[in-house]
Amino acid sequence: MARFSPFDIQARPNRLLGQVLSAVLFVVCLGLYMHASKVRHAENPEDRIVPNAQQLRSGVHASVLEPAEEDDYIAPEGASKWTRFQHSMIWKDTASSGRRFGISLLLFLPAILLALHIGLYPYFNAGFMRFVLFFDKIVALSLLPILFIAFGIDELSKIALIFIGVAPTLILDVIQMVKAVPQEQVVKSFTLGANDFDVTYRVVLRQIAPQIINSLRLNLKPIMLFLFAGEMIAASDGLAYRIAIMRRHMGMDVILPYVLWVALLLFLVDLSLRLLNKRMHPWFQS
Amino acid sequence: MVSVIEQEDNAMTLAPSTARGAAIHVAQVSVSYPAGKTGRKVILDELELEIAPGEFVVLLGETGCGKSTLLRMILGQERPTTGEITVAGRKVERVSAACGYVPQKYSLFPDRTVLSNLTMGPLTSGYHILGRLKPGFRAFRKQVREQAMQKLERMGLHAADAEKYPHQLSGGMQQRVAIAQALMMKPEILLMDEAFSALDPGTRASLQKMLRTIWLETKPTILFVTHNTAEALFLATRIIVLAKQTTPGRCGARVALDLKLPDTGMSLKKHGQEFLDLVDHIELCSQGFEAAAELTANFEGNVR
Repeated sequence: MARFSPFDIQARPNRLLGQVLSAVLFVVCLGLYMHASKVRHAENPEDRIVPNAQQLRSGVHASVLEPAEEDDYIAPEGASKWTRFQHSMIWKDTASSGRRFGISLLLFLPAILLALHIGLYPYFNAGFMRFVLFFDKIVALSLLPILFIAFGIDELSKIALIFIGVAPTLILDVIQMVKAVPQEQVVKSFTLGANDFDVTYRVVLRQIAPQIINSLRLNLKPIMLFLFAGEMIAASDGLAYRIAIMRRHMGMDVILPYVLWVALLLFLVDLSLRLLNKRMHPWFQS
Repeated sequence: MVSVIEQEDNAMTLAPSTARGAAIHVAQVSVSYPAGKTGRKVILDELELEIAPGEFVVLLGETGCGKSTLLRMILGQERPTTGEITVAGRKVERVSAACGYVPQKYSLFPDRTVLSNLTMGPLTSGYHILGRLKPGFRAFRKQVREQAMQKLERMGLHAADAEKYPHQLSGGMQQRVAIAQALMMKPEILLMDEAFSALDPGTRASLQKMLRTIWLETKPTILFVTHNTAEALFLATRIIVLAKQTTPGRCGARVALDLKLPDTGMSLKKHGQEFLDLVDHIELCSQGFEAAAELTANFEGNVR
């Protein structure tokens, strides 16, 4: 086994040691949680602040197999788990949050194209750059009341919040990517008979596409942050709405599975984007 | 030095002013940029230059004397402060397919395979995006791909390299592909900006030979920017040296030496001491416009 030398920059843990080290903090957290749960349950067997394994199991069961509200569709007695899952609380909330998340991602497409043009075309740059820089400095959450007043408390205000919160940063990021494309490539394209459209979409966009996907990956958390802010303040469904509701009832047995579920969803979206990038842009990996 | 030039009297003379129909004409071009609060930094000062079709011109000069600026202006990437540049009789106003271009680096599109890099020019200029839906496109693409494979082979690369990405090739191979990419457009004028500077001596020598062979076969007009005097003497049929002026009140670079060379090129192996003398002369000329004028004033018929 390699010598354990954490303060040696040139030391490399071997594979086994690396895996053990990466698991240590998870085990420590789990141990601390279980200890805290045991202590609290020794004082109060009905404690809901730090639910034990049994409470968590029933929380997961309620989330995954039971409907959210009493007036929601209730699957018949002998229905399969899959059928019950499709009418469950977590499914309903995931679908609602997912819809908002998906619409926001779609809205980023025109923002990315705008950034591409700002980065490449001097006239676009002159017209939009300062406005984007100004908007980037506005704290999106401070606009929330204005959005609720202007658009009501429906979907539009929540999606607008995500867009306003993330789009300026994304646009500035893409502009930097465009500017980083060597000028030689643009000039060469023109000498090869390309027109402005070709240079924009078939040279520059193609080259920065993997970086745009990486930028979206890095922005997944801010997107979720603004989504959660919107849902926690005004929504009738959604993952953050459920967490906010459960907080009122101190329903940690549901909140904790929800938190882990959101993390898993984000991990899966990130993984999908990473794999998509790897498959679509093999040249970028180098 | 004089003898060197006199012995090659059939070719090695002051370049004559070419007739109308020059491939490239740089007319009284000056370039300056704002510097400080009130001043301007002059890069090129009333430059006058004509390059005839089929010439292989190498532009030499010290760092910062404006060689690359001149090349960028001929490309259309930059505009002169005063004066005018025409390429094939047309005033240069923007970058176009009038000239082929091989830069020192970033020559190839990293997201495309070698084959895609080679075919990009003809396919893009032949069929724009919606035109690719036309029935003739497939046949055209097939034809272009065949040409690209031939060109690849001609450049000394293997068919298997066609599907590689640029990062999978060595620097020398990348520049071979870059030259092939430019040649796929069959340019009448080829601009090369220190295209071999980043290569090792062996690769550089083989690319120099290859470029000369290509030039001898098809005789495009080539304007090649380099720092390397030996490379210039080997490649060029004409060497233009830019040098900064040192007289108080004058600044910016001008043509310090304009030398016509034999079509066969010059090398140390073939020309020995004459080659070395010429290298010395060129390098002295590149140190300053006034010094160059003084030096060349002694050589009858070689002063410009």
